[in-house]
Amino acid sequence: MKKIFLSGLTAGIILFIISYGGLYVAIRCFPSFFVDYNNPLFNSNGSRDTLFYSHAFIFSFALSWFWERFKSLFKGHFILRGLEFGLVYGIIALVPVMWITFSSLDITVTMVLSWFFYGLCQAVIAGVVFARMNP
Amino acid sequence: MYPGKNIIALFTAACMLSFISATDMAPVMIKWMILKDCTVRVNGSTNINKFSCVVPDYLRSDTLTCYRGNDLPVILSGRLALPVISFDCSNNMMTNDLRKTLKAKEFPSLNIYFISLEKYPELNNTQESITGVVNIELAGVSKKIGINYQISMDEQKIIHLIGTQTIRFSDFALIPPRKLGGMIRADDRLDVVFKVNFKRISDQ
Repeated sequence: MKKIFLSGLTAGIILFIISYGGLYVAIRCFPSFFVDYNNPLFNSNGSRDTLFYSHAFIFSFALSWFWERFKSLFKGHFILRGLEFGLVYGIIALVPVMWITFSSLDITVTMVLSWFFYGLCQAVIAGVVFARMNP
Repeated sequence: MYPGKNIIALFTAACMLSFISATDMAPVMIKWMILKDCTVRVNGSTNINKFSCVVPDYLRSDTLTCYRGNDLPVILSGRLALPVISFDCSNNMMTNDLRKTLKAKEFPSLNIYFISLEKYPELNNTQESITGVVNIELAGVSKKIGINYQISMDEQKIIHLIGTQTIRFSDFALIPPRKLGGMIRADDRLDVVFKVNFKRISDQ
């Protein structure tokens, strides 16, 4: 339990820095890519900012529990285990969620693809952290 | 000569003069009919782009009344009632976002009440800069705002009035839109430009 919590917390902190730091840099470097976010689908009054910024930790703790249950299935070097873990998450969770998101919401293909790769990178990074801290 | 007589005569003359000038100052009511080809444009920006939204056609034919006298400023009465739902930002998502920000469902009209002009315009074909005051009612909040006008009149006797001013979302208790935890955010400032055409219809 302690290992799940500690590796989840560590992955959460790392993901928080990388994800939001990366998003901040991306918005400044590629502003035109984010114009479509001026859309009423996205919360615009700041009332959910805490939820938005806590995502990295929700994601990490959930994946940390998942890792603990299924880590024996991932073999090899810790980087390879983390990569495989991320790909598994991408296929079983991200693809179906992105599919239904794109089919039901008025958003662009680029937006959905960027979310897919964003989630995939997060899962791979979290997987590498788990494989290292909780082998 | 009895000095009191001079004083009485002076007093009488002063009263007569003040009566004559009071007659001069009697305000004349002038009516300007608002023509239908009017536009209101709102220019704003976010930290990633600029946007420009316009109400392209004003379909009501309202009347603006000017009370012209020697007293300044010139008092105005009349309004533009703009349907917020008509704002078009040339991008569906931005258009819907602006309507949501301006609470179009709760408050469907943006009202501009004309209150006063610094002076009555010359009304010729050269553009004249005049300041004035309007009351803008947006999202259920009213705010009195000074406006810079450019006024001219063409050969067809159509009066062209262009009003410009910078307003703020926060003046109307509106929150500038912010997305992704505030990483994308709109500036509080909005530049409003309204172009109104009038036809003078009567003096009373």
